[in-house]
Amino acid sequence: MSHYLDSLENESIFIIREAYSRTKNLGLLWSMGKDSTVLLHLVRKAFLGNVPIPLVHIDTSYKIPEMITWRDDYTKNHNLRLIVGGNKQALADGMNPNMGRLTCCGALKTQALLDTIKEHKIQALLVGIRRDEEGSRGKERVVSPRPESGTWTYKEQPAEIWHYYNLHVPESIHLRVHPLLQWTEMDVWEYIRREKLDIMPLYFAKEGKRYRSLGCSPCTGTIDSEATNLDEIIEELKNTKTGERAGRAQDKVDTYAMQKLRSGGYM
Amino acid sequence: MHVDSSDSLQLHKVVVVGHVDHGKSTLLGRILLECGRVPEDRIAHVQKICSDKSLQFEPAFLFDALQEEQEQGISIDTTRVNFEFEGHKFILIDAPGHLEFLKNMTSGASEADLGILVVDCNQGVRSQTERHLKILNMLGIRRVIVALNKVDQINYDQTIFEEVCAKTREIIEQQEIICEQIVPISALAGENISSPTSKLEWYVGKPLLGTLTDVAQKLNNIKKEDQPFRMLLQDVYRFEGDRLFAGRIVSGSIKKGSEIFFSPSGKISRVESIEKYLETDVQSAKAGESIALRLTEQVFVERGEVISQLDNAPEVDTEFRGKLAWLSAHSFSPETEYMLKMGTTEVPCRVDVIDAATQQKQLASAENLINGGFADVIIKTSKPIAFDRAATGAIVEKFVVCTAYDTVAAGVVDNRPVRVERSLKVNPNLRHELGYVERARYEGLNKHRGTVLWMTGLSGSGKSSLAKELEKALFEKKCRVAVLDGDNLRFGLCADLGFTPEDRSENIRRIAHTAKLFLDTGFIVITACISPYARDRELAREVIGAKDFNELFVFCPLEECQRRDPKGLYLKASSGQISAVTGFDSPYQAPQRPAVRLDSSKMSVAQEVQAVIELLSRNEVLPLERALTNDLPEVINASGLRSLQAIND
Repeated sequence: MSHYLDSLENESIFIIREAYSRTKNLGLLWSMGKDSTVLLHLVRKAFLGNVPIPLVHIDTSYKIPEMITWRDDYTKNHNLRLIVGGNKQALADGMNPNMGRLTCCGALKTQALLDTIKEHKIQALLVGIRRDEEGSRGKERVVSPRPESGTWTYKEQPAEIWHYYNLHVPESIHLRVHPLLQWTEMDVWEYIRREKLDIMPLYFAKEGKRYRSLGCSPCTGTIDSEATNLDEIIEELKNTKTGERAGRAQDKVDTYAMQKLRSGGYM
Repeated sequence: MHVDSSDSLQLHKVVVVGHVDHGKSTLLGRILLECGRVPEDRIAHVQKICSDKSLQFEPAFLFDALQEEQEQGISIDTTRVNFEFEGHKFILIDAPGHLEFLKNMTSGASEADLGILVVDCNQGVRSQTERHLKILNMLGIRRVIVALNKVDQINYDQTIFEEVCAKTREIIEQQEIICEQIVPISALAGENISSPTSKLEWYVGKPLLGTLTDVAQKLNNIKKEDQPFRMLLQDVYRFEGDRLFAGRIVSGSIKKGSEIFFSPSGKISRVESIEKYLETDVQSAKAGESIALRLTEQVFVERGEVISQLDNAPEVDTEFRGKLAWLSAHSFSPETEYMLKMGTTEVPCRVDVIDAATQQKQLASAENLINGGFADVIIKTSKPIAFDRAATGAIVEKFVVCTAYDTVAAGVVDNRPVRVERSLKVNPNLRHELGYVERARYEGLNKHRGTVLWMTGLSGSGKSSLAKELEKALFEKKCRVAVLDGDNLRFGLCADLGFTPEDRSENIRRIAHTAKLFLDTGFIVITACISPYARDRELAREVIGAKDFNELFVFCPLEECQRRDPKGLYLKASSGQISAVTGFDSPYQAPQRPAVRLDSSKMSVAQEVQAVIELLSRNEVLPLERALTNDLPEVINASGLRSLQAIND
């Protein structure tokens, strides 16, 4: 039997290869966060060092500025194809979190994502969500079919048995493919440490604060932390009493906020 | 290198099944609370939901997070819960109990290595208890632990417990499932889950999680690496000119330098290197690994092939028996064309529901095959596919049946073969009359021994051409030689036979017996017929006798056979005029240990003849001096290099 990180890695590579083989225009949704970083590394492993698919970043214009700098440097240094999507119309009309956090997420993230998928004729998108992040993601399939509206019909999901993923869909449907669904937050950090991955510095503590989860600056808070390296982050996680997305304001708008956002096509 | 206790951890996937409201989700929630890493804010979140709804704290809400699930107090879809216990890392898979969510239950359970069956002490065995067990059995989950829940509600009464135990054991024994242990618990009160309770002094076993750890440890000792090697080919990548064969090893292991066999195409190559990103000079890879292979000899194969070792390949056929569970709200429809997915192959198929004993088509049961139903089936595919039978231990045996876009059934290949042997009745009053002249005396007269050269290969691979040239060469060497050409025999001896698997078997049986008659008078017999089924060739070997049976594998890639197409068969098959063409829509089961393998796309006929003559002298069929005289007729050399060009194509 293998070490569990190897089991997770091999499983994810299998899923990525299935998606690449069975769909047209596969993309990788890339938020530059820790999960996206692991996902990109697994893509390289699946394709023996190559990245034959474009990265897709949804820019709300409210991202923490260091994230955008890091994004541009990283794609340039690694010669990666990057598609940046955004909802320009909503921004022009003055969309911001004060108009309601869920409304803002819906316009600047969900709608922007759906527009980008349509514009670039993306049939399937690798997305680095995990079941342990929050309740509604726990109910996801590895391959989730979405109509043009992005709606997640969580009450009527397709059967997904053994490794037989439903990758064959009508043209009007796009697929969200979730190779990391089975991973936990801890797995992700242990894997980053084992594989020595280059990770955004915002995760490391500065003056007693660090980001545990990265998002838009108005809705993402830091946590108190002294963890300045991977060992310390992992040690901190072992003893933490709060959830990974505790710093994410949109999750707390109401009891089923994430379910509502995600059934509308949020990632 | 960082070392900590988690470095040796392995992952076990455990599915929790059972009837509606017997407490599956509550048990998961309880385990999560006792052993998981549940953040306090998530617990607070659930506490708030419960108090808003004026409910007692419900652990199930920790993961049954959908609004509809919490409002109705049910699980709609499956989820996973991670936890660690005594050095083992588990993923617990929740499975909804309602029949209408059976496809969700199966989706979750299909990933698991073992199951926990939750049974309510008050209610005992119910309809979904049995159905879920049948599903586990079909999915290949052979071990369960029973959690007899709500033991607090029967006042920890041992007698009631024993009664429910007996009934539960009884239904488990109806499946091929081992009941590892029956553990009394209370999920809601948290009793006998991670630690024992004084209220159950009569219970001698370990609490639930201790039992789980023991069974998981037992499973660890079963090594998939020791099974036959199977790798599912997902894709062939061409990065920077390299051709890399990417896929996942599902059983066994492979070493650098090994010879490998592709099914159903029957192609052979050798592993030049095992490729993994950031790893150099990988010497071997084992079950579970996603790898890519670089090959020494280029073969043209596509996604869907199963890679194995040369002498332990999967079966190749266009039909097989299976058992399946129907998982769709849309009932089975007997006349529909479905898609079969097996390994990484997808192929159109027809499904016949049969009676398990007689193998006859059952129209009535077919019409009643609805969601949650089980059936014995024969599946016929439009192209040959590779698969294993459960009993062989190799694991390309699980399949799903789909409509255009949906998975509607899940199944496994049955051990039993589809084809019924033609019953041969020999009158018991018959006696075998011995001839006057024994074979050895014929052989003395002939000055060579008799033997059978049994050719097998695709149509167009060059069997008939080789047979003719061999006949000439042996005749020149003053040998008694007879050619039994499959096509010619179909004009007379076998004129009543077609190309169904049964007729092909009968064809081979007759040719084998004819060859035997010639052999008995000391002939060197050359047979030239496709003989696509390994089973039929085995029968011929038995009839003729292993010592005199020389299997000559006339190998040629299908594409080259199609290019040659001497009889126009492939053209007719591709335009739909004829069917059952071997290699095209009818299987060819390549021999795994032939006496000689002749690659007619690379060898001239003269070289092939030479190889066979060498075989005959090695086996002392031909006396040495006759084998050495190089008196091959010129005509061979004139037409001999017919296919060298093909290599350059």
